[in-house]
Amino acid sequence: MTAWFRSHLQAFTRSIGALVRQPIGSLLNLLVIGITAAFPLALWLIVNSVGQISQHISIEPQISIFMAPSAEPAQVSALQQQLKADPRIAKLTFTPKDEALKSLQGSFGNADLLAGLVDNPLPDAFVLQPKSVDPAALEALQKELSGHTGVEEVQLDAEWARRLARITQLGANVFEVVAGMLGAALVLITGNAIRMQILTRKDEIEVAKLIGATDAFIRRPFIHSALLQGILGGLVATGIVWGVIGHLNPAINALAQSYGQQFALQTPDLLTIAAVCGIVATLCLLGALLAVWRHLRQYR
Amino acid sequence: MIQFQQVSKSYPGGFDAIKNLSFEIPSGELVFLAGHSGAGKSTLLKLMAGIEKPTAGAVLLNGQNLARMSRASLPFVRRHIGLIFQDHKILYDRSVFDNVRLPLDIIGFDHQEGRRRVLAALDKVGLAGKEKLNPISLSGGEQQRLCIARAVVHRPSILLADEPTANLDRDYAHDILELFKSFHQVGVTLVISAHDESLMADYGRRILRLKNGQFTA
Repeated sequence: MTAWFRSHLQAFTRSIGALVRQPIGSLLNLLVIGITAAFPLALWLIVNSVGQISQHISIEPQISIFMAPSAEPAQVSALQQQLKADPRIAKLTFTPKDEALKSLQGSFGNADLLAGLVDNPLPDAFVLQPKSVDPAALEALQKELSGHTGVEEVQLDAEWARRLARITQLGANVFEVVAGMLGAALVLITGNAIRMQILTRKDEIEVAKLIGATDAFIRRPFIHSALLQGILGGLVATGIVWGVIGHLNPAINALAQSYGQQFALQTPDLLTIAAVCGIVATLCLLGALLAVWRHLRQYR
Repeated sequence: MIQFQQVSKSYPGGFDAIKNLSFEIPSGELVFLAGHSGAGKSTLLKLMAGIEKPTAGAVLLNGQNLARMSRASLPFVRRHIGLIFQDHKILYDRSVFDNVRLPLDIIGFDHQEGRRRVLAALDKVGLAGKEKLNPISLSGGEQQRLCIARAVVHRPSILLADEPTANLDRDYAHDILELFKSFHQVGVTLVISAHDESLMADYGRRILRLKNGQFTA
């Protein structure tokens, strides 16, 4: 047991030594691993950030009815009465056009902008929440309401929230594909790097094998080297993503604010960093095992 | 004990290196293997060490059939064998000490005990005080001694030496054979191959003469 532990410790210190002895080569290798891993990580963080917005927004459907500007007040109040009595509607709010204009002026904070308007361009509007969430029932209701006289447009407001959810889902699918491909690339990259290491130590492996080394003994230093590269490569990846997101966030936030929203991409937290290092290390380990297995096959 | 039972070895392409050989080497014997290059000496030694698999027949080492042995258990059999290679197979990326230390690392020897063993082996072959050197700075004869030290450091019960006296002058070759004799005296089984039979004659031991993969009288 102590011999086993000592040989692992020795393999570990040697793999650090090998890394330090060739600083440029090691650095380039870590950058390749880091960049490869950074891409799916960034995608995951974006999908996650967007997914969180769509979760905050209620996907409770809302129907907005906009009256035609030419609609008579009598038509409007007739519709209001009818809607109030409709058993399919859970909640109804009415926004008269004067009120809508006032709130618009308030949100601009500058009455001069609208002072030039001769007429109020805004329509009277109803916002109602139906009891049903069934898409077919909602669509039927939407159609029925558009048939009323004086109604210009009926909008189903859940639509865009659902669209956002679908975009997020698409993003998640893209992430899966990208992560799968780049994960395979990581295995190949490390496999190749370890193969180079094996070639430089070919003689040692041959002698060791001839004088009674087990496959595990031969494999050990390469496993340590791959795990070390994987963990450091994972740190490089999170570092890259952290830097990129830090660079983009002010612009994204400014854009979101212009829509009156608060939004920023998440930076990787500790758990994410640990997970990334773990996953990358596992993939590197897989690459190393493949490379060593291929090389050891030639010996009996 | 090393037993060959109707062993043949052919290489891809149809070259028959060993043709239907049967013989026994009892534990503790010192045997010479003679023959010109290409007679099959190296192949015979490789078969004994389980480096090559026989095409037909069985090679038994202390009663165990090497060909039937799993890949996982073969390394443990090899640890009972000391190998001296024709081409030395010395590692030039490390010191003399670390070269000799390799078999002990493989077995998982304790650090202090390992160090003691390495120095003892180097002392035995006459390389005391040279442990810190790089093997590249050693002479041909000294490199041969280094190879012997590495082969005996883990105290194997069988020592297989492939042409250990090749490229050495006669006096030096004699020194090396005397060294082997001293291992024989402590009970190690030895098989030593050479193409120059005149050296062996002085020792009065059994000589297996190979020609085209078969024994000659």
